[in-house]
Order: sequence, then C-alpha cells, then structure tokens
Amino acid sequence: MDETVAEYIRRTVLKIPRDEIKTMLQKWGFLSETQLQTINFHQMKDNISQDVVQCCEENSASIKQAAVLDIIYNHSYPNKRMWSVYQMNKTEEETDFFDLTDFRKKFKRHLRSALKNVTINFREYENNAIWIRIAWGTPYTKPNQYKTSYVVYHSQTPHAFISPSVLKSNLPLLCQALVVASNYQDIHEMELRSHSLNSLEDMVFKRYSQNFETYCPRPLQESTVAQESAAGLRIVQENINEKERIQRVNRDTFGDGPQPKLEFAEYKLETMFTSDPKLEVLDKKEPFRCMVKFHSPHLLESLKSLAPAGMADAPLSPLLTCIPHKARNYFKIREKKGFFPGSFVSP
Amino acid sequence: MEAAADGTGRPRPSTGRLSWGLPFGRARRRSGLSPSSRLLPTPRRPQVKARAAAGVAEDADSQRTAFLLRKQWSLYSVTPLYRFSEAHLRDYSRLLSAFIAAEKKKGLAVEIGGELDIKVAVTSLPDLKGSDRDQAAILVQLSSRSSASPKNSEEKLVWSGWFCCVAGDELSENLPEAFTCLPLFLVNGAESYTAIVGTWFQKTFDCCFRRLSLSPFNLSWMAAMWTGCKVEKPASATELVFSVPRLPHPLHISYAINLEDAQALWDTVQKTPGEITQEEVDVFMDCLYSHFYRHFKIHLSATKLVKVSTAVASAHCDGIIKFRQSQYLTGVLMLLTELAICQIQ
Repeated sequence: MDETVAEYIRRTVLKIPRDEIKTMLQKWGFLSETQLQTINFHQMKDNISQDVVQCCEENSASIKQAAVLDIIYNHSYPNKRMWSVYQMNKTEEETDFFDLTDFRKKFKRHLRSALKNVTINFREYENNAIWIRIAWGTPYTKPNQYKTSYVVYHSQTPHAFISPSVLKSNLPLLCQALVVASNYQDIHEMELRSHSLNSLEDMVFKRYSQNFETYCPRPLQESTVAQESAAGLRIVQENINEKERIQRVNRDTFGDGPQPKLEFAEYKLETMFTSDPKLEVLDKKEPFRCMVKFHSPHLLESLKSLAPAGMADAPLSPLLTCIPHKARNYFKIREKKGFFPGSFVSP
Repeated sequence: MEAAADGTGRPRPSTGRLSWGLPFGRARRRSGLSPSSRLLPTPRRPQVKARAAAGVAEDADSQRTAFLLRKQWSLYSVTPLYRFSEAHLRDYSRLLSAFIAAEKKKGLAVEIGGELDIKVAVTSLPDLKGSDRDQAAILVQLSSRSSASPKNSEEKLVWSGWFCCVAGDELSENLPEAFTCLPLFLVNGAESYTAIVGTWFQKTFDCCFRRLSLSPFNLSWMAAMWTGCKVEKPASATELVFSVPRLPHPLHISYAINLEDAQALWDTVQKTPGEITQEEVDVFMDCLYSHFYRHFKIHLSATKLVKVSTAVASAHCDGIIKFRQSQYLTGVLMLLTELAICQIQ
C-alpha cells in the first residue's frame, strides 16, 4: 500500500471523534467485521488510527477507497466546511431523465481533459443527493488529497452546493464540468453562503416552515381591563398586550418552526442619507455608502429574539426577514427610484 | 499666533499650527465625568526649521515612534510615581533586570523559557508628550536572548510597555514635587511579563495600575473625533462594532461607513470652530443610528458599542488601542491620557 495513502487514511481517522470511528468504518465497509473486531476502539485515537491503517494494509487500500472514507466523514460533518450555493439553468423546458452513470462519465471526462492529475469520487445519498469529491493536482504534480473540493448535486433540481478548496482557480473548471455533465447550459452563484449545509438545503428547497410574505397589521382589539383599574394596571396590561403582539408578529414573519442555521448576513448599502431637516445635517444627493455585517452562531434565531428583547421593532425589517425565502445572505441595497425615499430595492 | 475667538466672544490663544496642539484654551470640565467639549485634533507637522538647522532628518522622530504604529496596545491607568527620576533610567533597567531574574529563579515566571536571558532597556521618548509641562514618555523593553549561546543568538523584542502623559495638566499641576505624572501605560506582550514589570513598578514607586476600559460613551467620542481627521486616501472606512451578548444566540453587528461619506456627514455636524462638543458627537451618532434603523428596524442605541475602527486608530472596549497614523499619535494619546486621569481621580 502506498505510504501516502496510509498517511491519508491515518489522518482521516484522527479527525473522527473517537466514539464515531467504529460506526464510520462500518459505513465505509472496506474492512471486514472480523478485522473491526481486532481493533480496540477504547484506546487512544493515535493507536486506533495506527491499527486501522494496518488493517487497510492487509486489504491493500488504494486512494480510491481512502477517498470514500473522506466522503463519509464530510457527509457526517459537513459543517466543518463553508458551502456556496449554485444554480444552473437551461432554455429547454423538458427535463431529461437523470442517468447517474452518464453524469459521472461526462463529469470525469470534462475534468480530466483539462487536468490529468485529479482524483474524482462519487457517492449517492438519499434525496438524490450526489456527493462528489475532487482532489486537485497540477500538470506536474499528483493530486493533493488534503486540498479537496466537494460538490453536493441534487440531481432532480438545478442546484448544487459547492465547498471549494483553497485552490480557488479550479472553481471555474469545476462549474463547467457540472454544467456539461448535467446537461444544463450555464451556472451562476447565488448570494448565499454558510457552514450549515442542511440549512442551505432547507432554504433553497423551502423545507423550513414558511412565513407569510406580507405582514398585515391585525385590527386593534378592545382591552378588557376592569373599569376601576388604576393607570398602573392598564400599563401592565398594555405591556402584556405589546409582548403578545410582538410574539404574534414574530411568528408571522419568521414562521413557527426552527430557523435555518446561518452564521452571517452582509449588506452593501448604497442608499441616500435622510434626516430631520431641523438638524441641518448632510443633504447630499449621492448615496451614503455603508457595509453592514451581522454575525451570530445562529443568525436568524438571534434576529428573531431582538424584538422580544426590546432592541428592535416588530416586524423586523424585510431586509432581514427575507433571508430564508429569498435564500440569500449577501445583499446590495440601492434606493428605489421614485417618490418614496423610505423604500428600498434589492437587486 | 492668532487669537481664535469662540462663540462666546472670549478670545483664546490658538493652538498654533506648527507646534503640538495644546490645551491652553481647553474648556473646563462641566460635568465630573468628562468634558463637554474637546479640542479638534490637528495633525502634527514636524517643526521643520528647528530640525533642518540641527541637521536632523525630518522623519527621524516619526521613525522613532513608527514602532508604536499598527501594534495592539493594552491600556492601563497609573497613579503618580513617587520619587521617579528620568536621570536614573539606567539604574532602573538594572534593577528591573535583576528582579525579573529573581522571579524566574523562584519559578514564578513559568512562561518565560528557561534558556532565555531577559535584557531590560528603560529609555525615554522625548517627543512623546504634549507640552513641556508633561513628563516625557518612558519606554520599557524586554528582549530575550538564548542564554545557551549568548554570542550567537539574536536579541528578540518580547515585550514593550510605555508610560506617557499628553496634556496631563489636570493631574500634574496639583502634584507635590516628589511625584511624577505618567498616567497612561500601554503594553504589548505576554501577560506574565506585564505582571512582573507592573509588580516592580508598584513596589518601587508606590503606584497603582488599573486596566483602562473604554465605555460606549468614550468610543462614540473616538468615532466622531477620528472620523473628522483628514487623512490621505485610500483610507479605511469608519467601522463601529456592536455586540448583543444577552440573547439566546449572541449577535454581533459591524457597521462600516465609507470614510468620505462619514466625513461629509461630520463636516455638516461639527459646527463649533476649533472644538468638538458633546452635542455634536451625539448628533453624529444619532444620524448613524437612524440611518441603520431606517433599514433594519434595529435600535443600535440599545446594543453595546464595543469597538471603533478608523483610519486614525482603532479602540476596543476592553481597553485596547491600535495607532494607525503617526501624525495623529499625540492627539489620540491626549484623549487616552484624559481618560486615564479620569479613572485615577
């Protein structure tokens, strides 16, 4: 067995949390149950990985099998990578019947025609999701197995999720191969990026609980406070009413279920600056250029909690609430040309 | 020097263009906590004639202070030093060096590698002060050299700390003779060294160090003040960073405004000649907050301003500063000195 393959397998095993190693190896299926019995999965990870490599040696593992183990690892822990969303389109209305073999052949052929040194592996998962792993080399060097790109292509949709390697120059070639292999005409990147692959899929395929797209203010309800109440009691009731209103509006704008998990949203603002004329401040006719970035371990849930915490209005601005259903987290906001300076258009 | 009359008709000597701008005419504090106005920061221009006569290169002093730029400095306030003398800097180097060696022997300085010799240099930075009434800045530098092969190995700077005072009259003018006023201390380097050097100064000069944190109020001043400074293009944007920690999922908001546009706004806000008032800072910040609210319906004023980053300098609420422009170095130090004095009193 090639030394580089052995080292690669060893390092891949080291990445896996100790409690998961046996399950992952079983999923991999390259080592027999008997071989797995011989490994003590309670020892230090260093030793476990050495034992695994030894078993792989017995089976003469090649880079192809090692690559499959890497795919299984990344499928279990996709959040370690940053994913961008791409959409493909074509003019013909009819959808061709998807043939996986044909797809694989065309994809490999396209990549290999441009670059001889490249490792390509496929694995099909549920929901027609095809995972593709590519390790890139150069005309003069073997593929670097540690600098891989991943593509998750949902074959029944025009969408692909790509986690490029640090060697960004290969990205155009990768996109081309995808287009050719899937019989589309072109591909473009959507303004949506996150570590959470599942959330991206949820947003793109609208699998989260949806909100109403427009907010309709409910008619004011009569308060049923007793007549003899002091002002204090009325204020308390108003507070309760307001709290309930905020919760209701939040549900309307964000939906009931859990939000897709995003870590950031970025807005490039090129709108006009307006202010109270009494202040006699800036009155320029040119855009007031700003860049606003929101960061959070769980951005949408965080934004949802701002109004109840008293830091924002309910409903929150549509610039924020549109993130899930527009499926984007990069925005460029310009002023809408018209009479109403308070409205925005996002291209 | 022309007299610059302010709005009240009271003539004040101007700050003068070719010297370090100085607070002869500084407005007295009206509240206990901070002045309701501060001088407009003026970029420092080297005193060309004097230096040319002395045969010293114009950039020499900016070269000396260049090492201060683009480094992260942690801020402390320091109470006046008792019986400190600029004439004894060499002795202080020796004594501090011995102290560090002793601490190492005691095994207290765990991070310091066993094979490293620490060399101490205490020097003065005569250009870093406001007026002649200020004490010149004092720089303490710790360099390491492998004690295994002292001749072969290079000296590496591992820790720097400097005391300074820019326009510290408020504190220094009432001090007895024996005390030296150097209320601001800036540190770059490992915490373990900071602790040792701090302990030695505290024991030797009977002074007290305290971390200087920067409140959102202070940071707003810095944002407004530094946005107004004229810098060469291309210049980085004015960035405000807000934190909302107490949510179920913490949120950080970065709000960066193109510097030209921020300056255009500031120029229409800042109307008092020669000085910046609290009201002007408030209007500037309110404008920025309203613009943000208009888009996102979020009240930034309810969040915590934790960091301000401009072309002149960056400041973080934990008391961390980064100087970016040497021409405004003294101006920034003047503001920090003031905050340090405030903390001491």
